[in-house]
Amino acid sequence: MISLEHVLVVGALLFSIGLFIALSRRNAVGVLMGIELMLNSVNLNLIGFARFVEAPRPIDGQVFAVFVITVAAAEAAVALALAVAVYRLRQTIDVDRLNLLKW
Amino acid sequence: MRPDLNLDYALLVPEYILGLLALAIIVIDLMMPKIRKDALPFITAGGLAVAFAVSLLYIDTDDNFAGLLSIDDYTTFFRCFFIAVTFVTVLASAQYVQTHLRHPGEYYSLLVISTVGAIYMAAAQELLTAYIALELLSFSLYVLVSYAKMERRSNEAGMKYMLLGAFASALLLYGISFIYGASGSTSYAEIAAAFEGGTEGFTFGTLIGLTLIVAGLGFKVAAVPFHMWTPDAYEGAPLPITAYLSATSKAAGFALLLRLFSGALMPVIDDWQFMLAAVSAITMALGNLIAIQQRNIKRLLAYSSIGQVGYMLMGITALSPEVSSALLLHMTGYVITNMAAFTAIIAYHNASGAEDVSDFRGASDRAPLLAAVLTVALFSLAGMPLFAGFLTKFILFQSVADNGYFWLAALGVVASLVSLYYYLTVIKEMYVSAPPDSFQQEGRFRIPLIMQGAVIVLTLGVFFVGLYPAPLFELTDSVAAVLFTS
Repeated sequence: MISLEHVLVVGALLFSIGLFIALSRRNAVGVLMGIELMLNSVNLNLIGFARFVEAPRPIDGQVFAVFVITVAAAEAAVALALAVAVYRLRQTIDVDRLNLLKW
Repeated sequence: MRPDLNLDYALLVPEYILGLLALAIIVIDLMMPKIRKDALPFITAGGLAVAFAVSLLYIDTDDNFAGLLSIDDYTTFFRCFFIAVTFVTVLASAQYVQTHLRHPGEYYSLLVISTVGAIYMAAAQELLTAYIALELLSFSLYVLVSYAKMERRSNEAGMKYMLLGAFASALLLYGISFIYGASGSTSYAEIAAAFEGGTEGFTFGTLIGLTLIVAGLGFKVAAVPFHMWTPDAYEGAPLPITAYLSATSKAAGFALLLRLFSGALMPVIDDWQFMLAAVSAITMALGNLIAIQQRNIKRLLAYSSIGQVGYMLMGITALSPEVSSALLLHMTGYVITNMAAFTAIIAYHNASGAEDVSDFRGASDRAPLLAAVLTVALFSLAGMPLFAGFLTKFILFQSVADNGYFWLAALGVVASLVSLYYYLTVIKEMYVSAPPDSFQQEGRFRIPLIMQGAVIVLTLGVFFVGLYPAPLFELTDSVAAVLFTS
């Protein structure tokens, strides 16, 4: 039987993996993929809570997850467009080499 | 559809006007090549003026839209506030956009759309709505920051802002999911009801939720451990967008924080107060200290604005009706002052291309009006008497001290003293250093009338708040009271 704890543990693992990827990747698209993973762990959490927690409107969590998916898609669109623009100008999307601006 | 939902679309008319305006600007830009592009900012400003006038009709309304957006005096206050800031930004952009940027249509329409996001952040009384509004504002800003497509720094700034912003959103959402799990609802009122027992029944999950929400929103308002994007975004962005970032994106973050913490998280105040007190103290100290060594005027103002965020976070820490009122007052004064400073810098930049503090040497000879305005604004930011900054800071610090955070207020006073140093270095360049040799041939800069008008009106605003604050004070008092009645 799957309980809330199982969902939360998987969510936490997914979040940690995403966090690690977002912090360790040097390629901007890689960082973005880590962030997407973190957002997916949020969805997992929300749906788990919606299923297991006593709530006045149990569907809230699921609706929230749908919106998070939508916003994540929009985010990817903006980020990839920016990555293309940066690549055209600099021939790199390595975040370590985007270092004109510091301190 | 549930029958008890209030779906009164008439409550949202100002935002419809803004939405239509954003669309109309793109259509006009696209379909009517005959219209001269320099008319676009004035069309935008006209539309914003209409939206502002319509917003005023909602004074004293106390209603909500489907339990998602509350339309009360607090919302009306921020509607007018954000529309006015966008109005000034649009007028200040007119010349800059024409000379520096391409695609003016999208530029103005994104500005208007981001205003809608900011307004809904202040109006939201439910976490999902607040999140969507936050992203509406952020996405528009990501694009606007990197709007100078062919400029390396603008691109880089946009990329960094985007990645860190998305990262912060992910943290915020993970925190929200835990708050949802602990309270079973995303509505502020229901969260407050679920937490009614205070720290009783407080779980580890809620603590994670609170911490991550503070971290995520801290990113958005640029509080210190999460501030790294700010100087980069400020320096890389086109100048008018820097002004806009420092005003709307900050104020919207605080509007959201204030409603969220007073509406939903007030019962568990003991569990987040210490976090915000720590963040506020570090923000004040670091923001003002790092500002000392900045040589670029945009970066200098970026760190100065981080310092200001520290003062404002004090207001969230010692949350109470008086403190919220003082916070709103300080925010209004700060935004007017900052817009005055940035408008003067934009005008100076248009004429000279200046970006470094050293480029301002001899500004009192080359552009006496702008130098005077910038001096007034910087003194006000530092908190000198006579100007808005002194009075609003004084009231804020005093009310924070009265509410049990004397040490925080004392730290704020010390930080203000430090800030005077780096503001004075700019003023010294303008008044003491001799102008460069080219001054003899070029003479004074010619500043367009509209910019002169804008800086003069904003400077009068700074003096008005500083010398006769009673009307504004009564206004923020009644606005803050709305948050604490329900």
